[in-house]
Amino acid sequence: MKAFVTRRKRPLAVLSVLTVAIATAVAISVGGAQARSSADELKGAGATFPAPLIAAWQQKYEAAKGVKITYNPIGSGGGIQAITNKTVDFGASDAPMTPDQFNTCGGCVELPWALSATSVMYNLPGLPNNLHMTGPILAGIYLGQIKKWDDPKIKAVNKGVNLPSTDITPVYRSDSSGTTFNFTTYLNTVSRQWKSQIGRGTTVNWPAGVGARGSSGVSGVISRTPGAVGYADIAYALKNHLKFFSMQNRAKKFARPGLAGIRAAAQADRKFNPQSNELSIVNPPGSPRFAKAYPICTYTYVILRMQSDKANLLKPFVTWALTSGQQYGPALIFQPVPKYVVKRGKATLKKVHS
Amino acid sequence: MSVAQERATGPAALQRRGRFRPGDAILYVVTCAAALTGVVLLALITHEVLTQAWPAMQKFGLGFLTTQAWGDKGNTLFGAKSFIFGTVVTSLGALLLATPISLAIALFLSELAPRWIRAVVAPLVELLAAIPSVVLGLWGILVLGPFITGTLGPAIHGTLGWVPIFSTKPSVGSNMFAAILILTIMIIPIVSSICRELFVGVPAELKDGALALGATRWEVVRGVVFPYARAGIAAALILGLGRALGEAIAVTQVIGNRVAINTSLFDPGDTLASRIAGQYQGADTALQVASLVYLAVILLVFSLIANLAAQLIVRRVAGRHQV
Repeated sequence: MKAFVTRRKRPLAVLSVLTVAIATAVAISVGGAQARSSADELKGAGATFPAPLIAAWQQKYEAAKGVKITYNPIGSGGGIQAITNKTVDFGASDAPMTPDQFNTCGGCVELPWALSATSVMYNLPGLPNNLHMTGPILAGIYLGQIKKWDDPKIKAVNKGVNLPSTDITPVYRSDSSGTTFNFTTYLNTVSRQWKSQIGRGTTVNWPAGVGARGSSGVSGVISRTPGAVGYADIAYALKNHLKFFSMQNRAKKFARPGLAGIRAAAQADRKFNPQSNELSIVNPPGSPRFAKAYPICTYTYVILRMQSDKANLLKPFVTWALTSGQQYGPALIFQPVPKYVVKRGKATLKKVHS
Repeated sequence: MSVAQERATGPAALQRRGRFRPGDAILYVVTCAAALTGVVLLALITHEVLTQAWPAMQKFGLGFLTTQAWGDKGNTLFGAKSFIFGTVVTSLGALLLATPISLAIALFLSELAPRWIRAVVAPLVELLAAIPSVVLGLWGILVLGPFITGTLGPAIHGTLGWVPIFSTKPSVGSNMFAAILILTIMIIPIVSSICRELFVGVPAELKDGALALGATRWEVVRGVVFPYARAGIAAALILGLGRALGEAIAVTQVIGNRVAINTSLFDPGDTLASRIAGQYQGADTALQVASLVYLAVILLVFSLIANLAAQLIVRRVAGRHQV
């Protein structure tokens, strides 16, 4: 019995030494992490949609001004939560904040800072890129009413294309997404049934199709499913070599989600929402001015706290992003924002102070 | 009996033989704190989950369980019916597939395989459990999904299409069947490795006795090994079921995330855990967050029932067989 007890003593000593060592190590690393979070750093989080552009900004801005920008693309809703909980210096969202969200955020401002388009991608082996698609047909597909690719309605806008009798599989984002907000806003404007039954949001109760997580999940399902159709930002579709539709606009012209189509649509709304600075440029009017407009475009927004310890870093960065930063957009299919958006942004930034 | 008296527990143990032992004191404090942490954590988590779910529980009540909706009526109506359906179907389906396979693996490795095969195969099967679920889900999207739409699905639908659960042809790789297969792969290493240990633990005398009486291998398995390990097998299966109930990431990647109740396994659906993992981050409204946490409450109750059932079964069977 005695031998048993003494044998036990040594591991115990080792254990206590280990515990102390681990505790010390943790204490040191925590202290170190705090010390490392330097003053010349801005932390952001939010939408995946502007992430490629922000990534370009990070590089250029750090090289030019010596301020490090970190950005965590966790989704629009996540960005709003992060700035609300004060865990980041700026949040980013494709869906403008609701009045409720402004209330919870408590002293936040929002302004548009980038502009691009949502593409509608498809997988039809052997058929060319940029087939034609209209809003009502797209709504019919996502409502589960148009089920085959050789449906007369699809054939009517794609004369001379040998459409197969394959089933259409609509694919949507299963996670909360600003791209979904943009896409369902569009379906809302083109289909009364969609508006009354489903509505718009960063998540909705999809009546047909399958969900996938993130743009990568959606494109993954599309590229492996003949007959699938889905949506993601245009940069994503291009990068992954997926085919996407030319969408019919209200001028009855078919437009591609390229820079020209986005530039034409950008002018559609000049009336900023007084609280969120929202500009809705989805499905612009049919006047000749918008003949080239791509109908599923969106501004994407940055959210700041009016009272911020880092105001002296934040204001120059956002101003730079709105002006010099825009030149890095076109390579990534982000159309530089119009002058009145820059002006409005600068005016809004005046509300931010330390 | 004297040994039991000598091994007093509680603080009394520290004063044994009148000499204070700092090592024992530390051990007592450390282990006691660890045990308490477990209990306190469980209480805190339950409290937090209930608090967060409260707005939805107040608004929807128990009707939440029987409502099939998610964000309907302008993001004001939520319900768990289709997710409960999806959770039950995928978990039980996976258990149904995993049970015979796991038992076969365990039998082969414990009773039949030569020693060198055992040494190679046993760790490999257990390695299956080491695959992160997100990787398994990715494999589900990239490999399993296309295999189901291209080969497996049409074959099953072609021959068994008259069975309601195979009544549609899979047009896309994301469906409940894919989720069941992924969950099966996740459960097999758990159940098979526990069962293997159980089978190895069956006393050799019993097996030898049966063999001496002229029993075949199968008769030994059926008459000696299975009855002897019955309680353990049941517990292992329920452990596997618990894993299947709670798995979120891999399922959300392959199940198709649709609010729907379909009889055909080749149609998309969704589970409680998958919905929470998919939408908690970035939920639009406070009500949506509360509804998601309400789903978590239901999941918690499910897991609780599974665990209690496991304990009950083990106790009852163990009591009967004196294992």
